[in-house]
Amino acid sequence: MASDGNDPDEALLAGVGRGDPSAVRTLLDRRLPRILALSRRMLNDPGEAEDVAQETFLRAWKQARAWKPGGARFDTWLHRVALNLCYDRLRRRREIATDAPPEQVDTGPAPDAGLLGADLSRRVEAALAALPARQREAIVLCHHQGLGNIEAAGLMEISVEALESLLARGRRTLKASLADLRGAG
Amino acid sequence: MMSPEMSEERFDDLAQTYGGEIARWPEAEREAARALLAAQPERLSIVLDTAAHLDRLLDLAPAQSVDAALLGRLIAAAPPAPNTAGRWIAGLGAALGLSAAAFAGVLAGVAVGGHALPMAAPVATAQMANGKIETAVDVSNDLQDALEEPAAL
Repeated sequence: MASDGNDPDEALLAGVGRGDPSAVRTLLDRRLPRILALSRRMLNDPGEAEDVAQETFLRAWKQARAWKPGGARFDTWLHRVALNLCYDRLRRRREIATDAPPEQVDTGPAPDAGLLGADLSRRVEAALAALPARQREAIVLCHHQGLGNIEAAGLMEISVEALESLLARGRRTLKASLADLRGAG
Repeated sequence: MMSPEMSEERFDDLAQTYGGEIARWPEAEREAARALLAAQPERLSIVLDTAAHLDRLLDLAPAQSVDAALLGRLIAAAPPAPNTAGRWIAGLGAALGLSAAAFAGVLAGVAVGGHALPMAAPVATAQMANGKIETAVDVSNDLQDALEEPAAL
Protein backbone atom coordinates (compact mmCIF):
# COMPACT_ATOMS: atom_id res chain seq x y z
CA MET A 1 0.00 0.00 0.00
CA ALA A 2 2.09 2.90 -1.23
CA SER A 3 1.40 6.44 -0.15
CA ASP A 4 0.41 8.96 -2.78
CA GLY A 5 3.32 11.18 -1.83
CA ASN A 6 1.14 13.18 0.57
CA ASP A 7 1.91 11.40 3.79
CA PRO A 8 1.20 14.07 6.42
CA ASP A 9 3.70 12.46 8.79
CA GLU A 10 6.67 12.27 6.45
CA ALA A 11 8.31 15.57 7.44
CA LEU A 12 7.74 14.87 11.14
CA LEU A 13 9.29 11.46 10.82
CA ALA A 14 12.35 12.96 9.18
CA GLY A 15 12.53 15.34 12.14
CA VAL A 16 12.33 12.40 14.55
CA GLY A 17 15.21 10.77 12.66
CA ARG A 18 17.27 13.95 13.13
CA GLY A 19 16.51 13.91 16.85
CA ASP A 20 14.25 16.96 16.76
CA PRO A 21 12.31 16.88 20.09
CA SER A 22 9.44 19.01 18.79
CA ALA A 23 8.89 16.56 15.90
CA VAL A 24 8.81 13.69 18.41
CA ARG A 25 6.25 15.49 20.53
CA THR A 26 4.04 16.51 17.60
CA LEU A 27 4.09 13.01 16.12
CA LEU A 28 3.17 11.49 19.48
CA ASP A 29 0.37 14.02 20.00
CA ARG A 30 -0.99 13.18 16.58
CA ARG A 31 -0.64 9.41 16.47
CA LEU A 32 -0.26 7.94 19.95
CA PRO A 33 -3.94 8.42 20.97
CA ARG A 34 -5.08 6.65 17.79
CA ILE A 35 -2.79 3.69 18.33
CA LEU A 36 -3.69 3.49 22.00
CA ALA A 37 -7.42 3.52 21.14
CA LEU A 38 -6.92 0.86 18.48
CA SER A 39 -5.04 -1.40 20.90
CA ARG A 40 -7.54 -0.82 23.69
CA ARG A 41 -10.49 -1.74 21.50
CA MET A 42 -8.74 -4.76 20.08
CA LEU A 43 -7.51 -6.08 23.44
CA ASN A 44 -10.06 -4.70 25.91
CA ASP A 45 -7.27 -4.28 28.44
CA PRO A 46 -5.77 -0.87 29.30
CA GLY A 47 -2.41 -2.24 30.47
CA GLU A 48 -1.90 -4.41 27.42
CA ALA A 49 -3.05 -1.58 25.16
CA GLU A 50 -0.38 0.67 26.65
CA ASP A 51 2.29 -2.01 26.17
CA VAL A 52 1.31 -2.40 22.52
CA ALA A 53 1.30 1.34 21.91
CA GLN A 54 4.71 1.68 23.54
CA GLU A 55 6.24 -1.17 21.53
CA THR A 56 4.73 0.22 18.32
CA PHE A 57 6.39 3.59 18.80
CA LEU A 58 9.70 2.11 19.94
CA ARG A 59 9.75 0.29 16.60
CA ALA A 60 8.84 3.52 14.84
CA TRP A 61 11.81 5.30 16.44
CA LYS A 62 14.10 2.55 15.12
CA GLN A 63 12.64 3.05 11.63
CA ALA A 64 12.70 6.84 11.67
CA ARG A 65 16.20 7.33 10.24
CA ALA A 66 15.74 4.66 7.59
CA TRP A 67 12.18 5.64 6.58
CA LYS A 68 11.80 5.73 2.80
CA PRO A 69 9.32 8.34 1.57
CA GLY A 70 6.83 7.11 -1.03
CA GLY A 71 6.24 3.71 0.59
CA ALA A 72 3.42 2.92 2.99
CA ARG A 73 1.94 5.87 4.85
CA PHE A 74 3.35 6.10 8.33
CA ASP A 75 -0.12 5.91 9.92
CA THR A 76 -0.83 2.71 7.97
CA TRP A 77 2.54 1.28 9.02
CA LEU A 78 1.77 2.10 12.67
CA HIS A 79 -1.61 0.39 12.40
CA ARG A 80 -0.03 -2.70 10.88
CA VAL A 81 2.61 -2.97 13.62
CA ALA A 82 0.05 -2.38 16.38
CA LEU A 83 -2.39 -4.91 14.92
CA ASN A 84 0.33 -7.54 14.66
CA LEU A 85 1.26 -6.94 18.29
CA CYS A 86 -2.43 -7.15 19.29
CA TYR A 87 -2.79 -10.46 17.46
CA ASP A 88 0.33 -11.82 19.19
CA ARG A 89 -1.33 -11.08 22.51
CA LEU A 90 -4.72 -12.44 21.48
CA ARG A 91 -3.00 -15.65 20.33
CA ARG A 92 -1.19 -15.92 23.65
CA ARG A 93 -4.48 -15.50 25.50
CA ARG A 94 -6.04 -18.28 23.45
CA GLU A 95 -3.09 -20.54 24.23
CA ILE A 96 -3.50 -19.87 27.94
CA ALA A 97 -7.27 -20.32 27.97
CA THR A 98 -7.31 -23.43 25.83
CA ASP A 99 -10.73 -24.57 26.97
CA ALA A 100 -12.43 -21.20 26.44
CA PRO A 101 -15.15 -21.13 23.75
CA PRO A 102 -13.99 -19.60 20.44
CA GLU A 103 -16.58 -16.82 20.56
CA GLN A 104 -16.83 -15.09 23.90
CA VAL A 105 -20.20 -14.55 25.52
CA ASP A 106 -21.28 -11.01 26.27
CA THR A 107 -21.00 -10.73 30.02
CA GLY A 108 -22.81 -7.38 30.20
CA PRO A 109 -25.59 -6.74 32.66
CA ALA A 110 -29.19 -7.81 32.16
CA PRO A 111 -31.12 -5.98 29.44
CA ASP A 112 -33.38 -4.02 31.75
CA ALA A 113 -30.62 -2.64 33.93
CA GLY A 114 -31.23 0.97 32.88
CA LEU A 115 -27.64 1.72 31.99
CA LEU A 116 -26.13 5.16 32.00
CA GLY A 117 -22.76 6.70 31.31
CA ALA A 118 -19.84 4.50 32.26
CA ASP A 119 -22.03 1.41 32.55
CA LEU A 120 -23.25 1.90 29.02
CA SER A 121 -19.72 2.36 27.83
CA ARG A 122 -18.61 -0.85 29.57
CA ARG A 123 -21.54 -2.68 28.09
CA VAL A 124 -20.61 -1.64 24.55
CA GLU A 125 -16.98 -2.49 25.20
CA ALA A 126 -17.96 -5.96 26.39
CA ALA A 127 -20.12 -6.54 23.33
CA LEU A 128 -17.28 -5.43 21.06
CA ALA A 129 -14.81 -7.65 22.92
CA ALA A 130 -17.16 -10.61 22.50
CA LEU A 131 -16.97 -10.42 18.70
CA PRO A 132 -14.61 -12.71 16.82
CA ALA A 133 -11.29 -10.85 16.47
CA ARG A 134 -11.50 -10.31 12.70
CA GLN A 135 -14.99 -8.80 12.93
CA ARG A 136 -13.84 -6.59 15.78
CA GLU A 137 -10.78 -5.54 13.79
CA ALA A 138 -12.91 -4.61 10.76
CA ILE A 139 -15.26 -2.51 12.89
CA VAL A 140 -12.48 -0.82 14.85
CA LEU A 141 -10.55 0.06 11.69
CA CYS A 142 -13.54 1.37 9.73
CA HIS A 143 -15.69 2.89 12.44
CA HIS A 144 -13.32 3.96 15.20
CA GLN A 145 -10.12 4.59 13.28
CA GLY A 146 -12.00 6.08 10.33
CA LEU A 147 -10.06 4.21 7.66
CA GLY A 148 -11.52 3.84 4.18
CA ASN A 149 -12.61 0.39 3.04
CA ILE A 150 -9.67 -0.05 0.68
CA GLU A 151 -7.10 0.90 3.31
CA ALA A 152 -8.73 -1.28 5.97
CA ALA A 153 -8.97 -4.26 3.61
CA GLY A 154 -5.32 -3.74 2.64
CA LEU A 155 -4.26 -3.70 6.29
CA MET A 156 -6.22 -6.87 6.97
CA GLU A 157 -4.88 -8.43 3.75
CA ILE A 158 -8.35 -9.32 2.52
CA SER A 159 -10.60 -8.18 -0.33
CA VAL A 160 -13.06 -5.32 0.10
CA GLU A 161 -15.89 -7.86 -0.27
CA ALA A 162 -14.47 -9.92 2.61
CA LEU A 163 -14.12 -6.76 4.69
CA GLU A 164 -17.76 -5.86 4.02
CA SER A 165 -18.83 -9.33 5.07
CA LEU A 166 -16.91 -9.04 8.36
CA LEU A 167 -18.35 -5.57 9.00
CA ALA A 168 -21.93 -6.64 8.27
CA ARG A 169 -21.70 -9.77 10.44
CA GLY A 170 -20.04 -7.87 13.26
CA ARG A 171 -22.60 -5.09 13.23
CA ARG A 172 -25.46 -7.59 13.06
CA THR A 173 -24.15 -9.37 16.16
CA LEU A 174 -23.63 -6.08 18.01
CA LYS A 175 -27.10 -4.91 17.08
CA ALA A 176 -28.56 -8.10 18.54
CA SER A 177 -26.49 -8.05 21.71
CA LEU A 178 -27.24 -4.37 22.34
CA ALA A 179 -30.86 -4.52 21.23
CA ASP A 180 -32.12 -3.62 24.69
CA LEU A 181 -30.33 -0.26 24.47
CA ARG A 182 -32.67 1.11 21.85
CA GLY A 183 -33.32 4.28 23.80
CA ALA A 184 -29.65 4.89 24.58
CA GLY A 185 -26.78 6.28 22.51
CA MET B 1 -25.23 14.65 -15.32
CA MET B 2 -27.30 11.64 -14.22
CA SER B 3 -26.26 10.01 -10.95
CA PRO B 4 -25.28 6.34 -11.15
CA GLU B 5 -28.13 4.14 -10.00
CA MET B 6 -28.24 2.15 -6.79
CA SER B 7 -30.74 -0.49 -5.76
CA GLU B 8 -32.59 -0.23 -2.46
CA GLU B 9 -31.08 -3.55 -1.49
CA ARG B 10 -27.56 -2.20 -1.95
CA PHE B 11 -28.47 0.90 0.06
CA ASP B 12 -29.67 -1.33 2.93
CA ASP B 13 -26.51 -3.44 2.70
CA LEU B 14 -24.25 -0.39 2.85
CA ALA B 15 -26.09 0.99 5.88
CA GLN B 16 -25.77 -2.33 7.67
CA THR B 17 -22.09 -2.56 6.72
CA TYR B 18 -20.71 0.97 7.10
CA GLY B 19 -23.33 2.60 9.33
CA GLY B 20 -25.76 5.44 9.06
CA GLU B 21 -23.52 8.15 7.63
CA ILE B 22 -23.31 8.10 3.85
CA ALA B 23 -20.07 10.10 4.14
CA ARG B 24 -18.44 6.96 5.60
CA TRP B 25 -19.58 4.68 2.78
CA PRO B 26 -17.28 3.77 -0.13
CA GLU B 27 -16.58 6.95 -2.03
CA ALA B 28 -17.63 5.50 -5.38
CA GLU B 29 -21.15 4.77 -4.12
CA ARG B 30 -21.95 7.90 -2.15
CA GLU B 31 -23.38 9.92 -4.99
CA ALA B 32 -25.79 7.17 -6.04
CA ALA B 33 -26.78 6.62 -2.42
CA ARG B 34 -27.60 10.29 -1.94
CA ALA B 35 -29.63 10.33 -5.12
CA LEU B 36 -31.63 7.31 -3.98
CA LEU B 37 -32.15 8.85 -0.55
CA ALA B 38 -33.49 12.02 -2.17
CA ALA B 39 -35.90 9.92 -4.21
CA GLN B 40 -37.18 7.87 -1.25
CA PRO B 41 -36.48 9.89 1.87
CA GLU B 42 -39.18 8.36 4.05
CA ARG B 43 -38.14 4.71 4.01
CA LEU B 44 -34.42 5.23 3.58
CA SER B 45 -34.14 7.76 6.42
CA ILE B 46 -35.39 5.04 8.74
CA VAL B 47 -32.70 2.69 7.40
CA LEU B 48 -30.04 5.33 8.10
CA ASP B 49 -31.41 6.17 11.55
CA THR B 50 -31.38 2.53 12.60
CA ALA B 51 -27.78 2.14 11.50
CA ALA B 52 -26.79 5.45 13.10
CA HIS B 53 -28.09 4.24 16.45
CA LEU B 54 -25.52 1.44 16.43
CA ASP B 55 -22.87 3.97 15.36
CA ARG B 56 -23.63 6.08 18.40
CA LEU B 57 -23.40 3.06 20.67
CA LEU B 58 -20.08 2.09 19.10
CA ASP B 59 -18.79 5.59 19.81
CA LEU B 60 -19.27 4.82 23.49
CA ALA B 61 -16.67 2.03 23.42
CA PRO B 62 -13.94 3.63 25.51
CA ALA B 63 -10.75 4.81 23.92
CA GLN B 64 -7.93 5.43 26.37
CA SER B 65 -6.30 8.65 27.40
CA VAL B 66 -2.56 8.90 27.02
CA ASP B 67 -0.79 8.41 30.31
CA ALA B 68 1.91 10.99 31.08
CA ALA B 69 4.37 8.26 32.08
CA LEU B 70 3.93 6.49 28.72
CA LEU B 71 4.44 9.77 26.89
CA GLY B 72 7.58 10.44 28.94
CA ARG B 73 9.03 6.99 28.22
CA LEU B 74 8.45 7.39 24.49
CA ILE B 75 9.95 10.86 24.40
CA ALA B 76 12.99 9.60 26.32
CA ALA B 77 13.41 6.66 23.94
CA ALA B 78 13.24 8.77 20.75
CA PRO B 79 16.40 9.09 18.66
CA PRO B 80 18.71 11.67 20.24
CA ALA B 81 19.87 14.79 18.45
CA PRO B 82 23.56 14.68 17.61
CA ASN B 83 25.35 17.07 19.96
CA THR B 84 26.60 20.40 18.70
CA ALA B 85 30.29 19.47 18.86
CA GLY B 86 29.56 16.25 17.00
CA ARG B 87 27.72 18.13 14.28
CA TRP B 88 30.56 20.66 13.96
CA ILE B 89 33.17 17.92 13.71
CA ALA B 90 31.10 15.97 11.21
CA GLY B 91 30.55 19.08 9.07
CA LEU B 92 34.19 20.12 9.03
CA GLY B 93 35.36 16.56 8.50
CA ALA B 94 32.96 16.16 5.60
CA ALA B 95 34.35 19.33 4.07
CA LEU B 96 37.81 17.71 4.16
CA GLY B 97 36.45 14.40 2.84
CA LEU B 98 37.03 12.56 6.13
CA SER B 99 34.62 10.68 8.33
CA ALA B 100 33.63 12.35 11.60
CA ALA B 101 35.63 9.79 13.62
CA ALA B 102 38.75 10.24 11.53
CA PHE B 103 38.49 14.01 11.70
CA ALA B 104 37.96 13.90 15.45
CA GLY B 105 41.17 11.88 15.61
CA VAL B 106 43.00 14.48 13.55
CA LEU B 107 41.85 17.20 15.93
CA ALA B 108 42.95 15.17 18.92
CA GLY B 109 46.31 14.53 17.29
CA VAL B 110 46.81 18.20 16.55
CA ALA B 111 45.84 19.08 20.12
CA VAL B 112 48.48 16.73 21.47
CA GLY B 113 51.10 18.53 19.45
CA GLY B 114 51.52 16.64 16.23
CA HIS B 115 55.20 15.76 16.72
CA ALA B 116 54.82 14.19 20.14
CA LEU B 117 51.94 11.76 19.70
CA PRO B 118 51.79 9.10 22.42
CA MET B 119 52.85 5.57 21.54
CA ALA B 120 49.65 4.13 22.97
CA ALA B 121 46.75 2.91 20.89
CA PRO B 122 45.53 5.27 18.19
CA VAL B 123 43.13 7.98 19.29
CA ALA B 124 40.44 6.85 16.91
CA THR B 125 40.01 4.57 13.94
CA ALA B 126 38.00 4.97 10.82
CA GLN B 127 36.88 2.41 8.28
CA MET B 128 37.85 3.77 4.91
CA ALA B 129 35.86 3.23 1.76
CA ASN B 130 38.24 0.58 0.44
CA GLY B 131 37.84 -1.48 3.59
CA LYS B 132 41.30 -0.63 4.97
CA ILE B 133 41.37 0.37 8.64
CA GLU B 134 43.21 3.63 9.01
CA THR B 135 44.01 5.11 12.38
CA ALA B 136 43.64 8.73 13.26
CA VAL B 137 47.40 8.77 13.75
CA ASP B 138 47.76 7.70 10.11
CA VAL B 139 45.37 10.41 9.02
CA SER B 140 47.19 12.97 11.13
CA ASN B 141 50.53 11.93 9.64
CA ASP B 142 49.01 12.03 6.16
CA LEU B 143 47.76 15.51 6.84
CA GLN B 144 51.16 16.61 8.03
CA ASP B 145 52.78 15.05 4.97
CA ALA B 146 50.28 16.88 2.84
CA LEU B 147 51.18 20.19 4.39
CA GLU B 148 54.77 19.59 3.35
CA GLU B 149 53.90 17.76 0.12
CA PRO B 150 50.33 18.51 -1.06
CA ALA B 151 50.40 15.72 -3.62
CA ALA B 152 50.65 13.17 -0.81
CA LEU B 153 46.95 13.46 0.03
